[in-house]
Amino acid sequence: MLDSDNAAFILTGVSISLASCNPDRLPSMSRGLGCKLIDDGRQVSIFLRRSQSEALLENIRSSGGRVANVFSLPSSNRTLQLKGSNARIVPFAAEDIPVIDGHIADFVLEVVPLGMSEAVVRAILAYQPDDLVSVVYSPCAAFSQTPGPKAGVPLG
Amino acid sequence: MTLRLDTIRECLEGVIPGHIATCDAEGIPNLAYLSQVQFIDNEHVALSYQFFNRTRQNILARSPVRLMLTSHLTGAQYRLTLAYLRTETAGPLFEQMKAKLAGIASHTGMSEVFRLLGSDVYRILAIEQVPGPTVAPPPPVVNYLTALRRATGRLASCGNLERLLETALDCLGAEFGIDHVMLLMHDEGRGRLYTLASRGYPQSGIGSEIPVGAGIIGICARERIPIRIGFMTSEYGYGRTIRDGVEADGQGDSLESAIPLPGLPEAGSQLAVPITAFDHLLGVLYLENVADLHFGYDDEDALVAFAAQLGLAMHHHQEAEELVEDVPGVEGSPPAPAGPPLLVRHFAANDSVFIDDDYLIKGVAGAILWTLLTDFVERRRTGFTNKGLRVDPRIRLPGVSDNLEARLVLLQRRLEERAAGIHLKKTGRGRFSLTVDRPLQLVSG
Repeated sequence: MLDSDNAAFILTGVSISLASCNPDRLPSMSRGLGCKLIDDGRQVSIFLRRSQSEALLENIRSSGGRVANVFSLPSSNRTLQLKGSNARIVPFAAEDIPVIDGHIADFVLEVVPLGMSEAVVRAILAYQPDDLVSVVYSPCAAFSQTPGPKAGVPLG
Repeated sequence: MTLRLDTIRECLEGVIPGHIATCDAEGIPNLAYLSQVQFIDNEHVALSYQFFNRTRQNILARSPVRLMLTSHLTGAQYRLTLAYLRTETAGPLFEQMKAKLAGIASHTGMSEVFRLLGSDVYRILAIEQVPGPTVAPPPPVVNYLTALRRATGRLASCGNLERLLETALDCLGAEFGIDHVMLLMHDEGRGRLYTLASRGYPQSGIGSEIPVGAGIIGICARERIPIRIGFMTSEYGYGRTIRDGVEADGQGDSLESAIPLPGLPEAGSQLAVPITAFDHLLGVLYLENVADLHFGYDDEDALVAFAAQLGLAMHHHQEAEELVEDVPGVEGSPPAPAGPPLLVRHFAANDSVFIDDDYLIKGVAGAILWTLLTDFVERRRTGFTNKGLRVDPRIRLPGVSDNLEARLVLLQRRLEERAAGIHLKKTGRGRFSLTVDRPLQLVSG
């Protein structure tokens, strides 16, 4: 589902957001702090702050793991949406801290040249290690959401 | 609702794009980025509808809606719960968003892609702040309450329209810190706006015109709503491009085109605010800056409040000039001016007036000047009244709301700016005098 180009793309300095809906169809979403590919790219693991994601995590549980996940590179507007229907919440593994720190560094390099304050960016992505949680899912659909005539076109 | 949207409006400017989450009938979530969120009031926002995408389909299928907004000033994140109400495809809100989107599209290289199909209006059901650290916002450049208080006091102390206009532009510079501004008056009869005063440009552009409905200034006038654009866009420029369009429409003969509009060649930020009084459009204040996103919601609010004060004061002074009795002044013969004669040529077709073959003005102001000069030459008359001009059959004023006093200010300024050797001077409420530096030679046609 995730070709090598898009697999590489989601590991760059992209903005990451994850959403899931409750039984009344009300969505909630949270900002991701980075991601990694597992199972040879067949699964994606998104890192979240539990304190910012209570409703989202509850929705993932109640919906049976239905998630929408957007990745967007501010400098190019290139945007990718992945969907999953088997998302599960797993404990954060401390060895993934460097992945998050690397992602934050990449994102700062991406948006500070666009005029963003580095202090603000670091506040938006600040975390406590014991607050972290991972959501793992297998992408079952992918859509380009780069603005333009092809926005929303399914990929793969 | 404990959090008020009007206290976090910087999140709506799109510096950090918002996200919208929806859900289809089967419970599958969808996430998308937002081009813009428009503040309506503390209970309502509007989102731009540009493409018939999954978000749109879900909304029409009555999906609950969540937005995630982030302040580029503090890093604070907010989740808003919304309920879709309706889509507007014309009118003030639509035009505000269309103009703003044109700037965003141009800034992001999406001019050929972004087109506003509608303004989706939502009710805000809840706003929650996402827990997390924030940074202190930078202090504001201007304290708008102080600026408004001081400016209001200064406007109230002005004794006539001309003084009021000068003071208004002084206030915008000194109190509000605005460096580039134009004040245009509404010519209702001709569907035009004409520049009456400006600051911050090499040429004042006094007398230059824009049709109602054209460019950011013209749309602001037509819709009577502030229009604010945060990035440079050719779509909402003014000046040459707009006038070319008007001339192509066959209206060029009546549009003042000899006097160039002032303006920054590359304005990053533009703000046009209507000046109204008692539901009547009097004119437009236009402000611009080279920087992107220079004007925010607070700037817009402060200038709308300022324009409301200005509108009432303008209305008062225009009315006051009309109420004065026509008391003929004692007209002694003025000393005959010496020197070579000044050749003043008048073309009746459009009331254009040339002085020594240099274009001065046309239209109603041209007709007024020609009438004054004719009376001066034929009857040695130097004292005039607004009331007298109003009933003079040689001046075809367009009827009510003719802005006669503003037209006299325009004429007076244009004469001084061109150093024409002809002077108009106020001698009291509704009264003014004419003096000339050289003998006049009047030629018709």
